[in-house]
Amino acid sequence: MTEGRDKPAGAAGPGPGAGPGPDADLAALLSRVARGDERAFELLYERVAGPVLGVVRAVVRDPAQSEEVAQEVLLDLWRTASRFDAGRGSGVAWVMTLAHRRAVDRVRSEQKNTERELRAALSAIAYDEVTEAVETRLERERVRRCLASLTGLQRESVTLAYYGGYTYREVAGLLGVAAGTVKTRMRDGLIRLRDCLGVE
Amino acid sequence: MRLRGSDLHTLAGAYALDAVTDADRARFERHLAGCEACRQEIRGLREATARLAAASAVQPSAAFREATLRAAGRTRQLPPVVRGRAAAGPARRRLARRWWLPGLVAGVAAALAVIAVVTGLIGPAARHQMDPAQLRNHTIAAVLNAPDATMLTAKVSTGGTATVVMSHRVDALVFMAAHLRPLPAADRYELWLMGPRGARPAGMLPAASRAGMVGPMVVSGLAAGDRVGLTVEPAMGMRRPTAPPLLDLRLTR
Repeated sequence: MTEGRDKPAGAAGPGPGAGPGPDADLAALLSRVARGDERAFELLYERVAGPVLGVVRAVVRDPAQSEEVAQEVLLDLWRTASRFDAGRGSGVAWVMTLAHRRAVDRVRSEQKNTERELRAALSAIAYDEVTEAVETRLERERVRRCLASLTGLQRESVTLAYYGGYTYREVAGLLGVAAGTVKTRMRDGLIRLRDCLGVE
Repeated sequence: MRLRGSDLHTLAGAYALDAVTDADRARFERHLAGCEACRQEIRGLREATARLAAASAVQPSAAFREATLRAAGRTRQLPPVVRGRAAAGPARRRLARRWWLPGLVAGVAAALAVIAVVTGLIGPAARHQMDPAQLRNHTIAAVLNAPDATMLTAKVSTGGTATVVMSHRVDALVFMAAHLRPLPAADRYELWLMGPRGARPAGMLPAASRAGMVGPMVVSGLAAGDRVGLTVEPAMGMRRPTAPPLLDLRLTR
Protein backbone atom coordinates (compact mmCIF):
# COMPACT_ATOMS: atom_id res chain seq x y z
CA MET A 1 0.00 0.00 0.00
CA THR A 2 2.88 2.33 0.57
CA GLU A 3 4.48 1.76 -2.77
CA GLY A 4 4.25 4.69 -5.12
CA ARG A 5 3.85 7.18 -2.27
CA ASP A 6 7.28 8.54 -2.91
CA LYS A 7 7.17 8.68 -6.67
CA PRO A 8 7.98 12.11 -8.05
CA ALA A 9 4.89 14.19 -8.47
CA GLY A 10 3.34 15.34 -11.71
CA ALA A 11 4.41 12.42 -13.86
CA ALA A 12 0.91 12.23 -15.28
CA GLY A 13 -2.11 14.47 -15.54
CA PRO A 14 -2.60 18.03 -16.67
CA GLY A 15 -0.26 20.81 -15.66
CA PRO A 16 -0.76 23.28 -12.84
CA GLY A 17 -3.82 25.45 -13.12
CA ALA A 18 -5.98 22.68 -14.52
CA GLY A 19 -8.63 21.00 -12.44
CA PRO A 20 -11.44 22.93 -10.80
CA GLY A 21 -11.81 26.44 -12.07
CA PRO A 22 -11.13 29.52 -9.99
CA ASP A 23 -13.04 29.91 -6.81
CA ALA A 24 -14.80 33.01 -8.10
CA ASP A 25 -16.97 30.64 -10.16
CA LEU A 26 -18.07 28.81 -7.08
CA ALA A 27 -18.95 32.02 -5.26
CA ALA A 28 -20.96 33.15 -8.29
CA LEU A 29 -22.69 29.79 -8.46
CA LEU A 30 -23.59 29.99 -4.80
CA SER A 31 -25.21 33.36 -5.25
CA ARG A 32 -27.25 32.02 -8.18
CA VAL A 33 -28.23 29.03 -6.07
CA ALA A 34 -29.31 31.42 -3.31
CA ARG A 35 -31.82 32.85 -5.76
CA GLY A 36 -33.37 29.45 -6.32
CA ASP A 37 -31.68 28.66 -9.65
CA GLU A 38 -31.93 24.87 -9.94
CA ARG A 39 -29.62 24.75 -12.96
CA ALA A 40 -26.97 26.53 -10.88
CA PHE A 41 -27.45 23.96 -8.14
CA GLU A 42 -26.82 21.23 -10.68
CA LEU A 43 -23.57 22.90 -11.67
CA LEU A 44 -22.67 23.33 -8.02
CA TYR A 45 -23.39 19.65 -7.52
CA GLU A 46 -21.00 18.72 -10.32
CA ARG A 47 -18.30 20.78 -8.72
CA VAL A 48 -18.57 19.72 -5.11
CA ALA A 49 -20.47 16.43 -4.78
CA GLY A 50 -17.34 14.29 -5.27
CA PRO A 51 -15.21 16.04 -2.64
CA VAL A 52 -18.19 16.32 -0.26
CA LEU A 53 -18.95 12.60 -0.47
CA GLY A 54 -15.23 11.83 -0.31
CA VAL A 55 -14.56 13.70 2.88
CA VAL A 56 -17.73 12.44 4.54
CA ARG A 57 -16.82 8.91 3.56
CA ALA A 58 -13.29 9.28 4.91
CA VAL A 59 -14.69 10.18 8.32
CA VAL A 60 -17.94 8.19 8.49
CA ARG A 61 -16.76 5.09 6.58
CA ASP A 62 -20.11 3.36 6.16
CA PRO A 63 -21.16 4.00 2.53
CA ALA A 64 -24.89 4.19 3.24
CA GLN A 65 -24.50 6.57 6.16
CA SER A 66 -21.97 8.59 4.20
CA GLU A 67 -24.43 9.10 1.37
CA GLU A 68 -27.04 10.16 3.89
CA VAL A 69 -24.74 12.73 5.48
CA ALA A 70 -23.41 13.93 2.11
CA GLN A 71 -26.94 14.44 0.86
CA GLU A 72 -27.77 16.48 3.97
CA VAL A 73 -24.71 18.60 3.28
CA LEU A 74 -25.63 19.18 -0.36
CA LEU A 75 -29.19 20.05 0.56
CA ASP A 76 -27.84 22.43 3.17
CA LEU A 77 -25.89 24.17 0.43
CA TRP A 78 -29.12 24.61 -1.48
CA ARG A 79 -31.01 25.72 1.61
CA THR A 80 -28.43 28.08 3.08
CA ALA A 81 -26.60 29.37 -0.01
CA SER A 82 -27.84 32.85 0.86
CA ARG A 83 -25.75 32.73 4.03
CA PHE A 84 -22.48 32.29 2.16
CA ASP A 85 -20.36 35.40 2.55
CA ALA A 86 -17.45 35.63 0.11
CA GLY A 87 -15.84 38.17 2.42
CA ARG A 88 -15.28 35.49 5.01
CA GLY A 89 -13.51 32.87 2.92
CA SER A 90 -13.73 30.99 -0.35
CA GLY A 91 -16.69 28.99 -1.54
CA VAL A 92 -14.67 25.77 -1.45
CA ALA A 93 -13.70 26.35 2.16
CA TRP A 94 -17.30 27.10 3.10
CA VAL A 95 -18.61 23.95 1.46
CA MET A 96 -15.89 21.65 2.77
CA THR A 97 -16.05 23.06 6.28
CA LEU A 98 -19.75 22.32 6.34
CA ALA A 99 -19.22 18.81 4.99
CA HIS A 100 -16.43 17.93 7.39
CA ARG A 101 -18.25 19.36 10.41
CA ARG A 102 -21.33 17.33 9.56
CA ALA A 103 -19.34 14.15 9.18
CA VAL A 104 -17.59 14.71 12.49
CA ASP A 105 -20.89 15.45 14.22
CA ARG A 106 -22.23 12.19 12.94
CA VAL A 107 -19.39 10.03 14.20
CA ARG A 108 -19.08 11.79 17.53
CA SER A 109 -22.69 11.64 18.56
CA GLU A 110 -23.17 9.08 21.27
CA GLN A 111 -19.87 7.37 21.03
CA LYS A 112 -18.62 4.97 23.62
CA ASN A 113 -15.15 3.95 24.59
CA THR A 114 -15.32 0.52 23.11
CA GLU A 115 -16.34 1.89 19.79
CA ARG A 116 -13.52 4.39 19.96
CA GLU A 117 -11.11 1.56 20.40
CA LEU A 118 -12.42 -0.33 17.44
CA ARG A 119 -12.34 2.74 15.28
CA ALA A 120 -8.86 3.45 16.50
CA ALA A 121 -7.77 -0.06 15.63
CA LEU A 122 -9.04 0.46 12.13
CA SER A 123 -7.77 3.98 11.68
CA ALA A 124 -4.52 2.76 10.22
CA ILE A 125 -6.53 1.15 7.45
CA ALA A 126 -8.50 4.34 6.94
CA TYR A 127 -5.35 6.37 6.63
CA ASP A 128 -3.87 4.02 4.08
CA GLU A 129 -7.03 4.01 2.02
CA VAL A 130 -7.08 7.76 1.99
CA THR A 131 -3.46 8.12 1.06
CA GLU A 132 -3.87 5.51 -1.60
CA ALA A 133 -6.86 7.32 -3.02
CA VAL A 134 -4.71 10.45 -3.12
CA GLU A 135 -2.77 9.11 -6.08
CA THR A 136 -4.24 9.98 -9.40
CA ARG A 137 -5.40 13.47 -9.96
CA LEU A 138 -3.27 16.55 -9.83
CA GLU A 139 -5.04 18.01 -6.83
CA ARG A 140 -4.45 14.81 -4.93
CA GLU A 141 -0.87 14.77 -6.03
CA ARG A 142 -0.31 18.31 -4.80
CA VAL A 143 -1.92 17.59 -1.46
CA ARG A 144 0.07 14.43 -1.12
CA ARG A 145 3.29 16.20 -1.92
CA CYS A 146 2.53 18.97 0.55
CA LEU A 147 1.54 16.48 3.24
CA ALA A 148 4.88 14.82 2.68
CA SER A 149 6.62 18.10 3.46
CA LEU A 150 5.21 18.06 7.00
CA THR A 151 7.08 16.42 9.85
CA GLY A 152 5.83 12.95 10.75
CA LEU A 153 4.03 14.15 13.85
CA GLN A 154 2.48 17.13 12.07
CA ARG A 155 1.22 14.91 9.29
CA GLU A 156 -0.18 12.25 11.57
CA SER A 157 -1.85 14.85 13.76
CA VAL A 158 -3.47 16.56 10.77
CA THR A 159 -4.59 13.42 8.93
CA LEU A 160 -5.87 11.57 11.99
CA ALA A 161 -7.90 14.62 12.95
CA TYR A 162 -9.20 15.38 9.49
CA TYR A 163 -9.73 11.97 7.94
CA GLY A 164 -10.27 10.14 11.23
CA GLY A 165 -12.57 12.72 12.83
CA TYR A 166 -10.73 12.62 16.16
CA THR A 167 -10.33 15.49 18.62
CA TYR A 168 -6.81 16.65 19.29
CA ARG A 169 -6.89 14.96 22.71
CA GLU A 170 -7.89 11.67 21.10
CA VAL A 171 -5.16 12.07 18.51
CA ALA A 172 -2.72 12.64 21.38
CA GLY A 173 -3.91 9.39 22.97
CA LEU A 174 -3.54 7.50 19.71
CA LEU A 175 -0.03 8.78 19.13
CA GLY A 176 1.06 8.62 22.75
CA VAL A 177 2.04 12.29 22.77
CA ALA A 178 1.03 15.16 25.07
CA ALA A 179 -2.19 16.92 24.03
CA GLY A 180 -0.46 20.30 23.99
CA THR A 181 2.12 18.98 21.57
CA VAL A 182 -0.52 17.66 19.18
CA LYS A 183 -2.38 20.96 19.38
CA THR A 184 0.66 22.96 18.28
CA ARG A 185 1.63 20.36 15.64
CA MET A 186 -1.83 20.66 14.11
CA ARG A 187 -1.46 24.40 13.81
CA ASP A 188 2.11 24.28 12.54
CA GLY A 189 1.22 21.48 10.13
CA LEU A 190 -1.78 23.31 8.69
CA ILE A 191 0.21 26.51 8.30
CA ARG A 192 2.87 24.61 6.42
CA LEU A 193 0.22 22.87 4.32
CA ARG A 194 -1.45 26.19 3.55
CA ASP A 195 1.84 27.75 2.46
CA CYS A 196 2.81 24.71 0.42
CA LEU A 197 -0.53 24.64 -1.37
CA GLY A 198 -0.38 28.37 -1.94
CA VAL A 199 -3.91 28.95 -0.68
CA GLU A 200 -4.81 31.91 1.46
CA MET B 1 -1.63 39.77 16.88
CA ARG B 2 -3.82 39.94 19.91
CA LEU B 3 -2.93 37.06 22.15
CA ARG B 4 -5.42 37.67 24.87
CA GLY B 5 -5.53 33.97 25.43
CA SER B 6 -2.30 32.78 23.88
CA ASP B 7 -3.07 29.32 25.17
CA LEU B 8 -6.46 29.47 23.47
CA HIS B 9 -4.91 30.78 20.31
CA THR B 10 -2.85 27.62 19.80
CA LEU B 11 -6.19 25.85 19.33
CA ALA B 12 -6.44 27.42 15.86
CA GLY B 13 -5.17 24.32 14.05
CA ALA B 14 -7.33 21.89 15.99
CA TYR B 15 -10.32 24.19 15.50
CA ALA B 16 -9.80 24.40 11.74
CA LEU B 17 -9.62 20.59 11.64
CA ASP B 18 -12.81 20.22 13.72
CA ALA B 19 -10.61 18.38 16.21
CA VAL B 20 -12.15 20.09 19.22
CA THR B 21 -15.00 19.23 21.55
CA ASP B 22 -18.14 21.36 21.45
CA ALA B 23 -17.01 23.11 24.64
CA ASP B 24 -13.59 23.94 23.19
CA ARG B 25 -15.23 25.12 20.00
CA ALA B 26 -17.54 27.49 21.87
CA ARG B 27 -14.62 28.88 23.87
CA PHE B 28 -12.54 29.37 20.76
CA GLU B 29 -15.36 31.04 18.87
CA ARG B 30 -15.78 33.54 21.70
CA HIS B 31 -12.07 34.22 21.38
CA LEU B 32 -12.39 34.59 17.59
CA ALA B 33 -15.11 37.19 17.95
CA GLY B 34 -12.61 39.60 19.46
CA CYS B 35 -9.53 38.71 17.42
CA GLU B 36 -9.36 39.77 13.78
CA ALA B 37 -5.89 38.27 13.33
CA CYS B 38 -7.23 34.91 14.51
CA ARG B 39 -10.12 35.08 12.06
CA GLN B 40 -7.61 35.75 9.31
CA GLU B 41 -5.57 32.77 10.36
CA ILE B 42 -8.58 30.48 10.51
CA ARG B 43 -9.55 31.58 7.02
CA GLY B 44 -6.20 30.50 5.67
CA LEU B 45 -6.21 27.22 7.54
CA ARG B 46 -9.72 26.43 6.30
CA GLU B 47 -8.51 26.87 2.73
CA ALA B 48 -5.88 24.26 3.48
CA THR B 49 -8.32 21.79 5.06
CA ALA B 50 -10.66 22.28 2.09
CA ARG B 51 -7.88 20.90 -0.12
CA LEU B 52 -7.64 17.86 2.12
CA ALA B 53 -11.31 17.28 1.34
CA ALA B 54 -10.81 17.80 -2.38
CA ALA B 55 -8.04 15.23 -2.31
CA SER B 56 -10.40 12.58 -1.00
CA ALA B 57 -13.06 13.09 -3.68
CA VAL B 58 -14.99 10.04 -4.86
CA GLN B 59 -17.52 9.70 -7.67
CA PRO B 60 -21.08 9.58 -6.33
CA SER B 61 -23.54 7.28 -8.09
CA ALA B 62 -26.05 8.51 -10.64
CA ALA B 63 -28.85 7.55 -8.25
CA PHE B 64 -27.35 9.72 -5.54
CA ARG B 65 -27.17 12.65 -7.94
CA GLU B 66 -30.74 12.27 -9.02
CA ALA B 67 -32.05 11.89 -5.48
CA THR B 68 -30.14 14.94 -4.30
CA LEU B 69 -31.22 17.21 -7.14
CA ARG B 70 -34.80 16.05 -6.74
CA ALA B 71 -34.73 16.68 -2.99
CA ALA B 72 -33.38 20.18 -3.55
CA GLY B 73 -36.30 20.96 -5.83
CA ARG B 74 -38.63 20.12 -2.95
CA THR B 75 -36.73 22.04 -0.27
CA ARG B 76 -37.47 25.60 0.73
CA GLN B 77 -34.45 27.88 0.86
CA LEU B 78 -33.48 30.17 3.70
CA PRO B 79 -33.64 33.91 3.08
CA PRO B 80 -30.40 35.87 3.45
CA VAL B 81 -29.62 37.38 6.83
CA VAL B 82 -30.59 40.99 6.41
CA ARG B 83 -29.56 42.50 9.71
CA GLY B 84 -28.40 41.54 13.14
CA ARG B 85 -25.43 39.32 13.62
CA ALA B 86 -23.19 38.91 10.62
CA ALA B 87 -24.00 35.82 8.63
CA ALA B 88 -22.61 32.87 10.45
CA GLY B 89 -22.02 29.53 8.83
CA PRO B 90 -25.06 27.49 8.00
CA ALA B 91 -27.09 26.40 10.97
CA ARG B 92 -25.93 23.13 12.35
CA ARG B 93 -28.42 20.54 13.37
CA ARG B 94 -27.24 18.21 16.04
CA LEU B 95 -27.77 14.68 14.95
CA ALA B 96 -29.13 12.94 17.95
CA ARG B 97 -29.50 9.67 16.17
CA ARG B 98 -27.70 6.84 17.86
CA TRP B 99 -25.60 4.65 15.75
CA TRP B 100 -23.34 3.09 18.28
CA LEU B 101 -22.63 -0.54 17.77
CA PRO B 102 -24.86 -1.34 14.81
CA GLY B 103 -23.60 1.65 12.86
CA LEU B 104 -20.03 0.98 13.70
CA VAL B 105 -20.31 -2.66 12.84
CA ALA B 106 -21.96 -1.81 9.56
CA GLY B 107 -19.22 0.71 8.85
CA VAL B 108 -16.40 -1.66 9.50
CA ALA B 109 -18.09 -4.45 7.63
CA ALA B 110 -18.84 -2.17 4.72
CA ALA B 111 -15.25 -1.02 4.54
CA LEU B 112 -14.13 -4.61 4.40
CA ALA B 113 -16.89 -5.53 1.99
CA VAL B 114 -15.47 -2.94 -0.38
CA ILE B 115 -12.23 -4.86 -0.32
CA ALA B 116 -14.16 -8.03 -1.05
CA VAL B 117 -16.00 -6.46 -3.96
CA VAL B 118 -12.86 -4.97 -5.40
CA THR B 119 -11.20 -8.35 -5.40
CA GLY B 120 -14.32 -9.86 -6.89
CA LEU B 121 -14.63 -12.40 -4.14
CA ILE B 122 -17.80 -11.92 -2.22
CA GLY B 123 -20.07 -14.70 -1.11
CA PRO B 124 -19.37 -18.08 0.41
CA ALA B 125 -19.23 -19.77 -2.99
CA ALA B 126 -15.95 -18.02 -3.63
CA ARG B 127 -14.49 -18.93 -0.25
CA HIS B 128 -12.30 -21.69 -1.56
CA GLN B 129 -10.61 -19.28 -3.97
CA MET B 130 -9.71 -16.78 -1.30
CA ASP B 131 -6.18 -16.24 -0.20
CA PRO B 132 -5.66 -16.01 3.56
CA ALA B 133 -5.90 -12.22 3.65
CA GLN B 134 -9.18 -12.24 1.72
CA LEU B 135 -10.58 -15.00 3.88
CA ARG B 136 -9.61 -13.01 6.93
CA ASN B 137 -11.36 -9.88 5.65
CA HIS B 138 -14.35 -11.96 4.72
CA THR B 139 -14.54 -13.45 8.21
CA ILE B 140 -14.12 -10.07 9.88
CA ALA B 141 -16.99 -8.69 7.82
CA ALA B 142 -19.12 -11.74 8.61
CA VAL B 143 -18.51 -11.46 12.36
CA LEU B 144 -19.15 -7.73 12.47
CA ASN B 145 -22.28 -8.12 10.38
CA ALA B 146 -23.69 -11.08 12.28
CA PRO B 147 -27.01 -10.52 14.03
CA ASP B 148 -25.55 -12.01 17.21
CA ALA B 149 -22.33 -9.95 17.11
CA THR B 150 -21.31 -9.00 20.64
CA MET B 151 -18.53 -6.70 21.70
CA LEU B 152 -16.53 -7.39 24.87
CA THR B 153 -13.64 -5.48 26.33
CA ALA B 154 -11.24 -6.15 29.18
CA LYS B 155 -8.07 -4.72 30.62
CA VAL B 156 -4.83 -6.58 30.10
CA SER B 157 -3.24 -6.94 33.53
CA THR B 158 0.15 -5.61 32.43
CA GLY B 159 -1.40 -2.63 30.65
CA GLY B 160 -3.58 -2.00 27.63
CA THR B 161 -7.05 -3.03 26.56
CA ALA B 162 -8.37 -5.96 24.59
CA THR B 163 -11.53 -5.78 22.49
CA VAL B 164 -13.34 -8.80 21.09
CA VAL B 165 -16.27 -8.89 18.72
CA MET B 166 -17.68 -12.41 18.63
CA SER B 167 -20.40 -14.28 16.81
CA HIS B 168 -21.45 -17.85 17.55
CA ARG B 169 -23.31 -17.93 14.29
CA VAL B 170 -20.13 -17.28 12.34
CA ASP B 171 -18.22 -19.35 14.89
CA ALA B 172 -15.44 -16.80 15.04
CA LEU B 173 -14.24 -13.75 16.88
CA VAL B 174 -12.27 -10.66 15.94
CA PHE B 175 -9.62 -9.63 18.45
CA MET B 176 -8.00 -6.23 18.82
CA ALA B 177 -5.77 -4.72 21.46
CA ALA B 178 -4.53 -1.24 22.22
CA HIS B 179 -1.57 0.09 24.14
CA LEU B 180 -0.12 -3.22 25.25
CA ARG B 181 3.13 -3.04 27.17
CA PRO B 182 6.00 -3.42 24.66
CA LEU B 183 7.92 -6.70 24.94
CA PRO B 184 11.60 -7.54 24.50
CA ALA B 185 12.41 -8.81 21.00
CA ALA B 186 12.58 -12.46 22.07
CA ASP B 187 8.99 -12.44 23.38
CA ARG B 188 5.59 -12.10 21.78
CA TYR B 189 2.02 -12.00 22.99
CA GLU B 190 0.18 -15.22 22.20
CA LEU B 191 -3.58 -15.46 22.06
CA TRP B 192 -5.47 -18.50 23.41
CA LEU B 193 -8.91 -19.95 23.49
CA MET B 194 -9.07 -21.42 26.95
CA GLY B 195 -11.84 -23.98 27.36
CA PRO B 196 -12.77 -26.51 30.01
CA ARG B 197 -10.53 -29.05 28.27
CA GLY B 198 -7.47 -26.82 28.11
CA ALA B 199 -6.05 -24.00 26.05
CA ARG B 200 -5.84 -23.93 22.23
CA PRO B 201 -3.35 -21.56 20.59
CA ALA B 202 -5.15 -18.82 18.66
CA GLY B 203 -2.23 -17.01 17.11
CA MET B 204 0.67 -14.71 17.84
CA LEU B 205 -0.17 -11.02 18.06
CA PRO B 206 1.44 -8.96 15.31
CA ALA B 207 3.51 -5.92 16.16
CA ALA B 208 1.56 -2.83 17.21
CA SER B 209 0.91 -0.06 14.70
CA ARG B 210 2.39 3.38 15.18
CA ALA B 211 -0.72 4.27 17.11
CA GLY B 212 -0.26 1.33 19.48
CA MET B 213 -3.03 -0.78 17.97
CA VAL B 214 -2.82 -4.52 17.40
CA GLY B 215 -5.09 -6.46 15.07
CA PRO B 216 -7.73 -7.06 13.98
CA MET B 217 -7.03 -10.81 14.34
CA VAL B 218 -9.52 -13.51 13.44
CA VAL B 219 -10.00 -16.62 15.57
CA SER B 220 -12.35 -19.34 14.35
CA GLY B 221 -13.75 -22.41 16.05
CA LEU B 222 -15.34 -21.27 19.29
CA ALA B 223 -16.43 -23.85 21.88
CA ALA B 224 -18.83 -23.61 24.80
CA GLY B 225 -17.22 -22.17 27.91
CA ASP B 226 -14.28 -20.63 26.02
CA ARG B 227 -12.38 -17.71 27.43
CA VAL B 228 -9.95 -15.55 25.52
CA GLY B 229 -6.52 -15.49 27.12
CA LEU B 230 -3.27 -13.73 26.41
CA THR B 231 0.19 -14.71 27.61
CA VAL B 232 3.76 -13.65 26.93
CA GLU B 233 5.61 -16.49 25.19
CA PRO B 234 8.86 -17.01 23.30
CA ALA B 235 8.57 -15.37 19.87
CA MET B 236 8.19 -18.64 17.95
CA GLY B 237 4.96 -19.40 19.85
CA MET B 238 4.01 -22.30 22.12
CA ARG B 239 1.46 -25.09 21.88
CA ARG B 240 0.47 -24.62 25.53
CA PRO B 241 0.65 -21.49 27.66
CA THR B 242 3.81 -21.40 29.75
CA ALA B 243 3.00 -18.20 31.61
CA PRO B 244 0.00 -16.98 33.60
CA PRO B 245 -2.67 -15.29 31.47
CA LEU B 246 -2.65 -11.49 31.40
CA LEU B 247 -6.21 -11.46 30.14
CA ASP B 248 -9.15 -13.69 30.93
CA LEU B 249 -12.16 -12.69 28.91
CA ARG B 250 -15.20 -14.94 29.12
CA LEU B 251 -17.11 -15.26 25.85
CA THR B 252 -20.86 -15.05 25.92
CA ARG B 253 -22.93 -18.13 25.23
